[in-house]
Amino acid sequence: MPDVRIKTLPPPHGGKLVERVVRDPQMARKLMEKCSAVYDIKPTLFKGNPVRNVYREIMSVCYGFFSPVEGSMTKAELESVLERRRLLSGWVFPYPILFDVSEEDFKKLGVGPGDWLLLRLKGQPFAILEIEEVYEITPGDVAVRTFGTPDKNPEVVRVPFDQKHTGYNIYCSLNPIILAGKYTIINEPKIRPPFDRFWYPPKRAREEFERRGWTTVIAHQTRNVPHTGHEALMKNAAYIGDIKPCDGIVVNAIIGAKRIGDFPDEAIVEGHEMLHLAGYIKPERHLVTITLWDMRYGNPIESLLHAVIRQNMGISFHMFGRDHAALGEYYDIYATQILWSKGIPSFGFEAPPYEVDGGFYIRPQNIAEFWYCPKCLEFAYSDNCNHKGIYSRYSGSFIRGLINEGVTPPPQIYRPEVYKVVVKWWKEFGYPFNNEKYLKEREEKLEVDMPHMELPAHLKK
Amino acid sequence: MAKFFGVVLDETRLKEIKGTPLEEKVEPIFGGALKRLVIEVPDELGQKVIDQFTKARFDARGFIEETPAAFKRLVFKKIVEKKSLGPEVIEAAIEEIPSIKDQIEKEDRELPVPDIDISDILELQKNPVQKPA
Repeated sequence: MPDVRIKTLPPPHGGKLVERVVRDPQMARKLMEKCSAVYDIKPTLFKGNPVRNVYREIMSVCYGFFSPVEGSMTKAELESVLERRRLLSGWVFPYPILFDVSEEDFKKLGVGPGDWLLLRLKGQPFAILEIEEVYEITPGDVAVRTFGTPDKNPEVVRVPFDQKHTGYNIYCSLNPIILAGKYTIINEPKIRPPFDRFWYPPKRAREEFERRGWTTVIAHQTRNVPHTGHEALMKNAAYIGDIKPCDGIVVNAIIGAKRIGDFPDEAIVEGHEMLHLAGYIKPERHLVTITLWDMRYGNPIESLLHAVIRQNMGISFHMFGRDHAALGEYYDIYATQILWSKGIPSFGFEAPPYEVDGGFYIRPQNIAEFWYCPKCLEFAYSDNCNHKGIYSRYSGSFIRGLINEGVTPPPQIYRPEVYKVVVKWWKEFGYPFNNEKYLKEREEKLEVDMPHMELPAHLKK
Repeated sequence: MAKFFGVVLDETRLKEIKGTPLEEKVEPIFGGALKRLVIEVPDELGQKVIDQFTKARFDARGFIEETPAAFKRLVFKKIVEKKSLGPEVIEAAIEEIPSIKDQIEKEDRELPVPDIDISDILELQKNPVQKPA
């Protein structure tokens, strides 16, 4: 009889964890000597507001979150990803990962294939891009092909993407020149509080799971301060396990530029942490982590990236709920669950992503919905509770609306301690949600501080 | 499919509708922890509300959400004036949006912080389980 127990963590996506971080300053200096130009990383702006910073992608590539991707994609790789959501090596990967510069900057840099470019962040050396290829893109075309259209992807795309969609705007706002090649971090950034205690790159995450004796781990994707419905989802989804429920519940928050009106990332990560500090989930079973990425809100497409990240971290199961990583009504609200239950052929998945060549070991846990039922006296699962007209459905927008009106969400919606975390950051930023001021200040500070590193003489000119 | 506009009722709002036919329309939600009035609006009118505000959207329940608090106050005022939960309430509120423009702009910049003691969570956070590497 086959053993049903899961004894090991899943392998990294692509077979090997990428780690492209040089920690030896002497080696860093040697590598910098080979660079022929310096480029200061700039945010991607949409209507003057920062919507993306490529440094987050460089971090996620070099620390292995996006394994087996090692850098900015070549033209052939980009085509492969847009056409069939596969890297040239055949491994599933959903999104273009690109280093874009303006024509003006490209001319100033004077670099080409074979050159190494030193990338500076916050005025300090940060990473090296080994330029393999230079090519042009049409950003609007990349945007449309990234997310799909109702004509080409009728299974799940409901309406054409437009400027109300943050992810679409990110790709539309890219510069037209792409420098393709591998990234290497040569000056390790210091993650700033409060994010530092949630920084578990795949290697560290796997070490932590092993230290805790976890072999079955389930991931919870978040971009929200957790309400009691999220908490019920996490606890109940974690029953999947093998001969017992999952050893660990890992919350992985996507940290980056986000939609105006969402909660600040600081409140999101500390809100989740509060669930174990206040005793609602034992800390021995709960780990809050972050990934640096400017969320694209690509629903099924984003779920593939989540699978890449979390499998690389050593996670065996992934919760997928209604409207996963979605914004607006562009996709079917169950698009992610459709992908992970039967596939979406027009996106290159004749079968679910764990059944295709180059696919995943991580397994989905497709969950319907939790709501509050005063008759069941619990946060009830929608496939169980049949008390129509009595139960109340959760809605993040509704909860944000309550806060906006100055109404304290009752304990049926937020644990009191979690709401106090929202208030803590509200006091800090003067506002409970992301607004233009927050996003701009955040873009200046980012999530990291850069240690000082001297530029080589030939690059100071 | 029709859309919905919900107005949450605090003590002050409940007092304002006490003794009126609106009182019977109050819906308890989350086991009675909150109370609200709901206006059903045709799709087109729902979309018109969404178009007025950059953050507004329909949520998965079909409710119009993330409209400014000033607009919700205005809708409640119109409910009381018209003693109705019909779509004409929303139409009247949309017409008066120019009168609350300043309040809406202010809301985007600042919202008063609730007067809540958070010392207990600050104490818990002094000893986090997870530490930086």
